[in-house]
Amino acid sequence: MNLFCTGINHRTAPIEFREKLWFSSEEIRTLLSTLKESSMEECVLTSTCNRTELYYVQRKDHDVSIPVWKLLAQSKDIENIARESHFYNIPSFHAVKHLYSVTTGIDSMIIGDVQILSQIKEAFTMAQETGSTGTLLNRLFTNALHVGKRARTETEIGDGAVSIGYAAAELASKIFNDLAKRSALLIGAGETAKLTAQHLVGRSLGKLFLANRTRTRAEELAHQLHGYVVDFDDFAKHIASVDIIITAIESHQYLLTTEHLRHALKERGNKPLFIIDLGVPRNIDPSINTIDNIFLHDIDALSNIVDHNLAHRKAQIHSVEEIILHELKHFYNWYQSLEVTPTIQQLNEHFEAIRTEEIAKHKHRFAPEHQEEIELLTRRIVNKILHTPIVNLKNGHSEKSGNTMREKVSILRHLFGLDKNGSR
Amino acid sequence: MQLSIILFEILLPILYFGTIWAYAKAFFSGNKLAESIKTLILLTTLLLHLSYITVRTMTFHHPPITSVFEILSLIACTIVLVYVYIEFRTKNSSTGYFILILPFFFQLVSSLFIDEVPNIPLILQSNLLGFHVSSAFLGYAAITISAVYAFLYLMLYHDIKSKQFGIIYKRLPNLETLERMSFTSTVFGFILLTIAIIVGLIWLPRTFGDMAYSDPKLIGTIAIWVIYVAGLSAKKVVGWQGRRIMVFSVLGFAFALVSITLINVFFTGFHKFH
Repeated sequence: MNLFCTGINHRTAPIEFREKLWFSSEEIRTLLSTLKESSMEECVLTSTCNRTELYYVQRKDHDVSIPVWKLLAQSKDIENIARESHFYNIPSFHAVKHLYSVTTGIDSMIIGDVQILSQIKEAFTMAQETGSTGTLLNRLFTNALHVGKRARTETEIGDGAVSIGYAAAELASKIFNDLAKRSALLIGAGETAKLTAQHLVGRSLGKLFLANRTRTRAEELAHQLHGYVVDFDDFAKHIASVDIIITAIESHQYLLTTEHLRHALKERGNKPLFIIDLGVPRNIDPSINTIDNIFLHDIDALSNIVDHNLAHRKAQIHSVEEIILHELKHFYNWYQSLEVTPTIQQLNEHFEAIRTEEIAKHKHRFAPEHQEEIELLTRRIVNKILHTPIVNLKNGHSEKSGNTMREKVSILRHLFGLDKNGSR
Repeated sequence: MQLSIILFEILLPILYFGTIWAYAKAFFSGNKLAESIKTLILLTTLLLHLSYITVRTMTFHHPPITSVFEILSLIACTIVLVYVYIEFRTKNSSTGYFILILPFFFQLVSSLFIDEVPNIPLILQSNLLGFHVSSAFLGYAAITISAVYAFLYLMLYHDIKSKQFGIIYKRLPNLETLERMSFTSTVFGFILLTIAIIVGLIWLPRTFGDMAYSDPKLIGTIAIWVIYVAGLSAKKVVGWQGRRIMVFSVLGFAFALVSITLINVFFTGFHKFH
């Protein structure tokens, strides 16, 4: 199979290089059009923060003097820093397997990454719109997206939180039923605190209040997260009215003590209160966790959840690989079916089936002495109908490039429904 | 009819086993097939169980309350009935295994030992008594389920507090939902127990000449009822929330279980018929 994948990812290239080889949507469209015109029959370019990969089928007459990795580097004007060792060049069915590993998330930096599937889908759609896909890549990417979905529904590869912020939001959802009816107070404005609040807002948190020593920073965050700023000196007034408290400030004294919380809990009718302490040193007196209906979790506890979930995802890789293997066989069978000889054979069988079925239906209309003649006549008609297409197929096979021929075979198979009982 | 009753008695434990198998498989291993068929198996089992009770009542001309084993089957059916109501109301089916294991054992014991009792007292053939007993059982079934949910709440509460994030954390619904499920069952149970007590207190004295208000079962049931009044008031009036009210629910059930067992084993009264 004349298919290749050339690209870089988090394992082969440092971030400094990956960010330089990142393509915007517009750049992708331009490059795909150029490559399609110059040297490739089909191509799809995917570009995310951790990987840039070009899947392509080269024309037989393409210019072999410039390797594809150089073409990619040239298109971003970074030939001077690009090294061949940054790139991998995966041929044939290994490239199919590689794409399946990408869409299932087992090749991602964070195993089971959920975003990659939509990113690949987007790249495929862009290539289709640009007109740079054909029989092979259309089939390959449709299958790869299907494999990605299968992995997520049939295994637990994407289960569980794998970031501190997500783990905190998941914990909140294990305590409260509907976050839309809940409110949170964010004390501090660090990156982890912001991400945690973002995850809560992403789960439709009802209201978010923010308090920070630097008020302007709190206002900035409030603008981004659609929250409300409260004075840092007054934050204690709000602890009784919110359901979730996130603290992430630098302080050598506890921000909230047992006394504070007992009082607040009484004021809020003993309703559960979830406190996330992201501060190091800790902002909240840990003995608070002994109070009924208060759930205190610090950064270590959340990191443990993340580690546990990552280990669980790793344990799923074997099941995902089984799905990949199964789907690879499907793809292989489909690709083999595009060969000319089996298609001619199936075409003959298809017409022969129609002929015998019709004869069986109308046999009684003819006298027994005419049966043999009918048999010969219908056979001759079928052979005559099929003669030209079969000859053209055979001749085309020797003249045209493999991929164009496969395209024709694919159309023919589609027109006569030869894949009806085959794979997707 | 007799043959169909025997068939029901063989089929029901098998179906209950199938049901808890599907619920367990869905809960512990997240099996997709089990997840998709478990409620269907449950509803089929419930339908068959209700048919069994109807056929049995029609065949023997009395409600199935004349022997311990008939009562066990009735309790099993009422627990499932209440559970199905809660599953549909809360749209959460992940906890089924913990509830349905009870009716499985009750029905298994019932099917193994049940027999038609000769010379049934005339009073046990009364349909109104059947109503009194059914509502009492439904009430007890509901408070049993409430206690199971409260217990699950306490398990999840403990896991979150102590930062253990295993299968309980992963599969159980959130604390607020478990509390709501437990509370809904308690209210359901409380209403049915109230109905049972009212029917018992107003109508039954007319039927029983020897009806006595000092009857141990009557006193026990009223004591249980009072405890649940206290629990519901603690939540609604005093504002108890979360762990405290769940502990109360488990203790209330434990009291009910102990008092009913003691009364049935050590006391006699007009309430004892078999």
